[in-house]
Amino acid sequence: MVDVAERRAVPVPDRDSAPYWGALARGRFELQHCRDCGRWTWPARAICSGCHGENLAWEPVKGTGEVHSWVVTHQVYAPDFVDLVPYTVVLVRIDEQDDILIPGRLVSDGEVHQGLRVRAAPEQITDEIGQLHWTADA
Amino acid sequence: MADAKRFPRGQAAIAGIGCTEFSRDSGVGVFTLAARAVKAAVADAGLELSDVDGFATFGPNDSISPNMLAQALGVTSMSYYVDQWLGGSVSMSIMGQAALAVSAGVADCVVCYRALNGRSEIRMNGSGAARMKLPWDMPFKMAGGVMAPSQEIALAARAHMVRYGTTSEDLGRIAVLSRANALDNERAMMRKPMTLDDYLDSRWIVDPFRMFDCCLETDGAVAVVVVNAERAKGLPHRPVLIQGAAWGGGVNVVNNGYTDLSESPAKLIAPRLYDAAGLGPEDIDFAELYDCFTYNVLSQIEGYRFAEPGGVPGMLADAAFDRATGKLPINTHGGLLSEGYLHGMNHVYEAAQQIRGDAGNRQVERHDVALVTGQLGYVSGYSSAVVLVGA
Repeated sequence: MVDVAERRAVPVPDRDSAPYWGALARGRFELQHCRDCGRWTWPARAICSGCHGENLAWEPVKGTGEVHSWVVTHQVYAPDFVDLVPYTVVLVRIDEQDDILIPGRLVSDGEVHQGLRVRAAPEQITDEIGQLHWTADA
Repeated sequence: MADAKRFPRGQAAIAGIGCTEFSRDSGVGVFTLAARAVKAAVADAGLELSDVDGFATFGPNDSISPNMLAQALGVTSMSYYVDQWLGGSVSMSIMGQAALAVSAGVADCVVCYRALNGRSEIRMNGSGAARMKLPWDMPFKMAGGVMAPSQEIALAARAHMVRYGTTSEDLGRIAVLSRANALDNERAMMRKPMTLDDYLDSRWIVDPFRMFDCCLETDGAVAVVVVNAERAKGLPHRPVLIQGAAWGGGVNVVNNGYTDLSESPAKLIAPRLYDAAGLGPEDIDFAELYDCFTYNVLSQIEGYRFAEPGGVPGMLADAAFDRATGKLPINTHGGLLSEGYLHGMNHVYEAAQQIRGDAGNRQVERHDVALVTGQLGYVSGYSSAVVLVGA
């Protein structure tokens, strides 16, 4: 296993994104929801993707979506992944909004295809930081 | 109101080109590489370093900046510079910037350069990422195991395969074509023949990309000298006019346009490029297409309107892009895939050599109008391209 201190792929939270990574650390998948126009925003930032206002609230999403594309990574691009290759990355269109596509490792077994239904599987890295994986929605 | 047609069409020209050796280990710093390429380009233009008053470069914090280079080379009257952050997606923006500067008259002689130790020092594949300033959106990708451009472009390639039935063999034909063009290129790093079977036997990097879908990692530098087109007429070589340039938006994860990866993001910039140049795809004699991966080539052939979506595999099978006989020769030097990864500036070098008629065994028959592109617009959200025309 790779020590956290040696990991390259650990996100560095900033003032806008800390709640996102923090929620994932606690096993929750939350995105910013606009109180004015109702649209969701990802990646985390203080500006709504729809109306460009700042009236955003962190709210849980259903955590489900479908695979738009996928790749199987064989090359080790960082020490974090030495024990994981080959691993599958899926790009998931979340159910709440069709212009939000979030990449993540697929941590379930089985065949992948476009349209595969998946569910968020947050993993804690530290007390403040988690990462988002996806698993096939059985 | 802004109008791409107001680009100073053909008013600036490439008058000189220079490069270093392209290798896996240059043995020198990027400072030295840049200086060598700049000196070679200025000499090729028949000019002196004292004639230079501007520099334009780009890179993800892995190179030498214009202020350092200028003073090291004795350029004391620098009146214009661009030091653009990021990589291949912005590569042709510096050509457009140089054209604007010299046509406006705020600079007389702008040298555009790119120098990197992309193999021996700071690699683009993620293993060098700790030393780079990372784009804002990278943490959101890294957390999902996406560390390198290969993975993002492979996601797009997969979406194209799903939608249009594009195959590994189709991508392989692009790799094989590039290699064939590199065989008689003395600058090329890869000069061993490659068959489609060789391609299919190469190891997986990021399925659907094999090793030969990926460009090289390269140490080296390229520079080109841009001056006013009138002045270029009095210099030794056939002026290579910057007929049109466009740089601007592509697609990234922030802009909420990232909805169908099978579509070519190049189609966002293509209309403005053709408007700027006053030309269309039917006018292009040959194209040097940004090929960090094979799929980028396929997608740009669609995006710049040389083929309908899904139409490239048939054209590849018909040899439409072959250097000797094709109706649109592409990547005549072997490209980033087989010549070297000079982040697109080697495409400009090759295009200029072809337009001058100086490409030797590689010379294409029709060589007056070239399309030269930067990365097609995925990943960073920028794209850039130029049309070059022989005077």
